[in-house]
Amino acid sequence: MIRKLRTGTFHTGMVLLSLLWLGPVLWVILMSVRSFDDIAANGVGSLPHSFTLDTYRQAWTDGGELQALVNSLLVTVPSVLLSLGLAAIAAFALSRYRIPGRRTILLLMLAGNLLPPQILLIPVQKFSELTGLYDTLLALIAVQVGFGLGFYTFVLHGFMRDLPGEIQEAATIDGAGPAQIFARVMLPLTRPALAALGALSFTWIFNDLLWAITVLRTDDRMPVTPALLALQGQFVSSWSVIAAGTVIAAVPTVAVFLRFQRHFISGLAIGAVK
Amino acid sequence: MRKGPFVTDFDPGRRRFLGHLGLAGLGAIGAGSLLSACASSASGPSTGDASGAVTIQSNLSSPQAKTAIEKLVESFNKQGKGTASVNTIASETFRTQLPTYLTSANPPDLYTWYAGSVANDYASKGLLLDVSDVWQGLTEYPQSVKTLSTDASGKQVFVPMTNYWWGFFYRKSNFAKWGVQEPKTWTEFLALCETLKGKGVPPIGIGLGDTPWVASAWFDYLNIRVNGAPFHRELLAGKQRFDDPKVKAVFTRWREVLPYFDPKGKAYPFQEATTALLAGKTGMFLIGTFFADAAPKDALGDLDFFRFPIIDPAVPVAEEAPTDGFFASAKTRNATGTKDLLRYFASVEAQEEYVKSSSGIVLPVHPKAKAADSPLVAKGKAMLDSAAELTQFFNRDSTDALQPTADTALTKFIDKPDQIDAILREWQASAEKVFKG
Repeated sequence: MIRKLRTGTFHTGMVLLSLLWLGPVLWVILMSVRSFDDIAANGVGSLPHSFTLDTYRQAWTDGGELQALVNSLLVTVPSVLLSLGLAAIAAFALSRYRIPGRRTILLLMLAGNLLPPQILLIPVQKFSELTGLYDTLLALIAVQVGFGLGFYTFVLHGFMRDLPGEIQEAATIDGAGPAQIFARVMLPLTRPALAALGALSFTWIFNDLLWAITVLRTDDRMPVTPALLALQGQFVSSWSVIAAGTVIAAVPTVAVFLRFQRHFISGLAIGAVK
Repeated sequence: MRKGPFVTDFDPGRRRFLGHLGLAGLGAIGAGSLLSACASSASGPSTGDASGAVTIQSNLSSPQAKTAIEKLVESFNKQGKGTASVNTIASETFRTQLPTYLTSANPPDLYTWYAGSVANDYASKGLLLDVSDVWQGLTEYPQSVKTLSTDASGKQVFVPMTNYWWGFFYRKSNFAKWGVQEPKTWTEFLALCETLKGKGVPPIGIGLGDTPWVASAWFDYLNIRVNGAPFHRELLAGKQRFDDPKVKAVFTRWREVLPYFDPKGKAYPFQEATTALLAGKTGMFLIGTFFADAAPKDALGDLDFFRFPIIDPAVPVAEEAPTDGFFASAKTRNATGTKDLLRYFASVEAQEEYVKSSSGIVLPVHPKAKAADSPLVAKGKAMLDSAAELTQFFNRDSTDALQPTADTALTKFIDKPDQIDAILREWQASAEKVFKG
C-alpha cells in the first residue's frame, strides 16, 4: 500500500516536473501556429484564437532560414570534426606520453577556458581582419575550433588517462607505433566520450550567437541564430514567425541529441567512478 | 557547462531597443581611440576598385522596412548610375556592432542610422564621410533638418530620409463610447484622465517592462512643454544640470498625472501596452508611430492621436520627430557612388516609394514628397509642420550611453515619486560620469 502510494506520488511529481520543463517548448510551438493579428489583438500569453502554418513559410522563405541553416551546418560540422580530432590527438599525447611540461600545457588550456569570451571579442575581430578572414565562415570555424579545443582536450585527457596501460603495452609489443595505437586502439575506446562531446559541441557551436556576429557582417553568411535575431524588427516583431523560426532551428540539435542520446548519458558518467 | 552563457545569450524578449548593455558598452570601447588606432594599422590601403557596388549596412530588419529598402535599391540600380546592395542586420546586432563596422579596415560604405548628436559623435572621431556636396543639391530641405545633419565642425555628415512623430494615441471608437474629446491643454488633459478613471478605465497606458526607454518620451515632452526645447537640448548635452529646479518642475507636473497611469504598465513591454490600448483596457498611450506595426490590421483605421497637451502657452511648441537616414564611412572606396546613392535617397521619388512600400507610419523628410494618403498621417505631418522646433528623442538628442541613466531615474520616479530630490541628484551624478566619458 505504502509502496503504491510512493510510486504514485513519484510519478505525479515527475509528470508535473516534466510539464514544467516542456511548458516553454509547448508555448513556443503553440505561438508558432498563431497569426500575427491574433497575437497583436490578444497578446503573446493568451490561448490561440487562430491556426496557421504560414508562419513557417515566412520564416523559411522571407526569413532566409534555408540559407542560414546551410551556413550553420557549414560551420558546425567542420568545427566539431576538427576540434574533436585535434583535441583527441592532443589528449592522447598528453595523457599517454611523458611530454615535458604536460601538466602546465593542460592547465594553460583550461585557464584559457576560464577567460570570459566577452573580453576577447575585439581582439578576435581585429585578428580576423588582420588575417583577411573577417566576414568569412572560415573565420567562424577557426574561432569555434580555437575556443573549444582546450575544454575538449581536458575532458578527453581525463578519459584517456584512465584507460588501462596494459592495452597500450600489448599494442606496442605487437609492433604498433604511436599513430597506429592512437587510430586503432585509443580512438575506438574513446568513442563514448567522443560521442558525448560531439553532441555537446554540436549544440554549443550551432547555438552560438556571439562569435557569429563578431566575425561576420553580411546577412547571407549569417548562421541560424543571428538570422533568427534578424526576424525581429527595430521596434515590433512578429513573434509567431520568430517562434516558427525557432522551432525550425531547433530541429538539427534535437536530431543530433536523439541520435547520440545513449552515448551522451553513458559518456556523462565517465570519470564519475574510478 | 562552460558555454552556458553562449546558449542563453539568444534571448529575443530582452534584446530590445537598448537590450544588451554589456555589448553596447563594448561597442563604445570599439569606437574609442584605442581601436581607431588599431584599425589603421590593421591593413594598408585597400585595393578594391572604386567603381564597385556600394554596400548599405541596414538595420531595417522588420519585414516591411526590409522590403522597402530593397525595392529602393533595385530602382536605383535600374537607373544605371551605379550599383548598390543591401545587407540587413538584426537591429539589435547592428546597434552593438556599428562602431566595429565603422572602425574596421574595409568597412561597408553606407549605414542606416540617426541624425543629430549620434551622427555628430561618430563624425568627431573622423569616421564619417563629408557629404556637404550632396547637401548643396538639397536646397529644398528646411534649415532644421540641415542643422540636424551637420556636425560640430560645420560640415554635413548625414542625409535624412524619413521621420515619424510621437503623440497620445487612442481608439476613436473608444473615445466615442466614453463620450470624451481630445484635450488641448494640460487642464483639459487632467479632466479627461479624471473622467476615464471614473469610468473604471486606467487613463494612461505605458509599457516599461523590457522597454523602460518609453518613459523618456514623458520626460522629453514635459521638459519641452515646461522649459522649452533649447533648455532640453542643453540639458541633454551636459550644459545644464538634472538637479536644477527647472528639471524638478517637470516632475512636479508628472506627479499630477502619475495616479492615472496604468498600474500594470510597469510589468509589460510597450508592444503589450499596445494590445491593452487596442482592447480598451487603457484610454490612451504616449508612443511613437512605430507602435502601429504591433496593431492588427483591422484596428489601424480606428486609431487617432492628439498632440501632447500645452502646459505653458508662452513656450514655443516643439515636437519629437526622430529622423532616420544614412551616413557613410569616411573610408569608403567609392565616395562618388555612395554620394550618388545618397542623392537618390534624398530625392522626392525615392522617399515616396519608400513610404509607400514600408507599412509603418513614416513621413518623408523631403518637404515636397507626398506622405501616405491617410487622415492619420496627414494629421501627424501637419503637427510636425506647425511645430516651432523639433527634437528627436532622449537618446538621439544625447547619446545611447546617457539613456540608461534616464531609464533608471524615471523608473525609480514612477515607483517612488516622493524621493524625487534624491533621484535627480543621483541622475546628475551618473550623467556626469557619462559626459566625462
